Amino acid sequence: MEKRAKILLVDDDADFVEATRLVLESQRYEVIVASDGDEGLRKAREENPDLILLDVIMPVKDGFTAAEQLKKDPHLSQIPTLMLTGFAAKGTKTSIPVSRGFALEAEDYIDKPVTPEELLARVEKHLKKAGS
Amino acid sequence: MNTSDKSERFLSQGDEPEHNPEEAAIRMWLRVFVTIRWITILGIISATLVASRIFDIQFPIAAAFGTCGFVALCNLALLFQARRIEKMPASQVVRKARTVGTIHLLLDLLAFIVLLHFTGGIENPFVFYFVLHIIGASIMLHYRVVYMLAISKIVAVMLLVGLEYSEVIPHVNLAGFAPPTLYQQESYILAVLVVLATALFATAYMATSVQGELRKRQREVVRLTQRLLKKRTGELKQASREVAKLEEARDRFLRFLGVTVHDLKAPLTAIQSYFWVMLGGFAGEITEKQRNMLERSSQRIKELLTLVSDLLDIPRIDTGQITQEMKDVSLSQLVKASIADLSEQAKQKKVKLKAEIPQGLPKIHGAGPRLQQAITNLIGNAINYTPEGVVTIRVKEGDKAIEVEVIDTGIGIPPDDLPHVFDDFFRASNVEVKGTGLGLSITKRIVETHGGRIRAESPCPETNKGSRFSFTLPKKR
Repeated sequence: MEKRAKILLVDDDADFVEATRLVLESQRYEVIVASDGDEGLRKAREENPDLILLDVIMPVKDGFTAAEQLKKDPHLSQIPTLMLTGFAAKGTKTSIPVSRGFALEAEDYIDKPVTPEELLARVEKHLKKAGS
Repeated sequence: MNTSDKSERFLSQGDEPEHNPEEAAIRMWLRVFVTIRWITILGIISATLVASRIFDIQFPIAAAFGTCGFVALCNLALLFQARRIEKMPASQVVRKARTVGTIHLLLDLLAFIVLLHFTGGIENPFVFYFVLHIIGASIMLHYRVVYMLAISKIVAVMLLVGLEYSEVIPHVNLAGFAPPTLYQQESYILAVLVVLATALFATAYMATSVQGELRKRQREVVRLTQRLLKKRTGELKQASREVAKLEEARDRFLRFLGVTVHDLKAPLTAIQSYFWVMLGGFAGEITEKQRNMLERSSQRIKELLTLVSDLLDIPRIDTGQITQEMKDVSLSQLVKASIADLSEQAKQKKVKLKAEIPQGLPKIHGAGPRLQQAITNLIGNAINYTPEGVVTIRVKEGDKAIEVEVIDTGIGIPPDDLPHVFDDFFRASNVEVKGTGLGLSITKRIVETHGGRIRAESPCPETNKGSRFSFTLPKKR
């Protein structure tokens, strides 16, 4: 098999990142990690990944703001972005409804926690869609 | 209009300027005053005609009619003034009406004396009509003014009689009614004046004390009403303050719950992810014993995560956040999606899912993911509590609402438990499957936030077994 896809994983929970990376690397994906929205955007520009996994609740810049900026950037807007979400914004009164992920034109949203099988299936599906 | 009508009008907060009983009474009395004057004028005219035509009593009819004309003009003026007073702010009514009343009573006095002069002076028993005048004044005016009026009447009559007696002004004899020298007879004059004076003062005394008592009562009613109103307003304010405090406490608690639960979910997610990584062999080989323990641990974490998700839903629904997520959604699509999600689970349990969804259902206004959560919850429960059999999902369109029914052929709900199935953390006594006891209470919250109603029946009235859960959602208007 030829060179596998490059995946940018943006999440502030080091343990979740570690576990998810193990799963992704088992399929020989190249995994780049960022721990907040700003770092995620910077790495997206530097590394030009094939797919982005973006957590919604993060310090510095939350995932939705980051996703909005990604989708506005003409060089990055084509990269499939999967939102990792499932619950309310911490410390604020508003929740982030599932529907907002779609309204933002993120390609998919994945409820945390996600089984390795489910995660790999979704990643594969969107990579295939983007490649064809 | 009787008193109870008036007090009711006073108590009811209408659009018109409201008057207290005293103000209402004085306004009414002004109108009565006008009417009595018209009647008096008519009375004098007819008395004059009867006296001159029938009894052939001779006196200057022109002067009598002239006086009547003057009083009629005064009365027209009073009519106009009374109308203006009716439109005045309530606080000015009493003062203004009393001034107007005093002026007109003095004008009456003047006309009366003039009329008396031309109709025989002391000879005319008409002089005792002053008593009626005093009663009228007592109703409307302050008692001191009434006594002043009584004194001025006696003084005026004394002056008239005195001037006629001393021949300063000519005396008009009612020829054919009284002897021509009667006005010179001291004993008669004295008797009439004493009777008139005592009658006027006695009347003034009686009428003002009755009226004074009445006025005191009227003011008492006003005070009582105001005190009552003030008390009720105070109670209402207190109640609304307490409601606000409770709502604040509830909001604080919901926020607290939201944050706590969220902080619980993050570490649980990390732990579950590690378990799955180990179970999936992504972190190297594990022994069968280890796998077994990891599977159990993972299962326990899953239970916790379900509880945490459920707990997280409650503040989101109760703080009204889901109304912000509402838009036009197709209920049949949501039902189909729920069925698709659960078909695998149903197959494993050998439960058949049967859907009865009509074509062309109108869209409803709702939070799609939440409604799907509610539907999935009901179907999931039906599958869980049906060891083997059929779960029917039926959507029906009514006049004002769309109804969703989930009917199973399962174990049903004991009658004692049925009223509590929607309570927080309630678990039916015949249930072995693990759960948080929050699923149905969340489902109920979701349905009710959409303006719908949910109902549980067991056994299902149609099949006489299992149970039926149904909820309605109002159609878009």
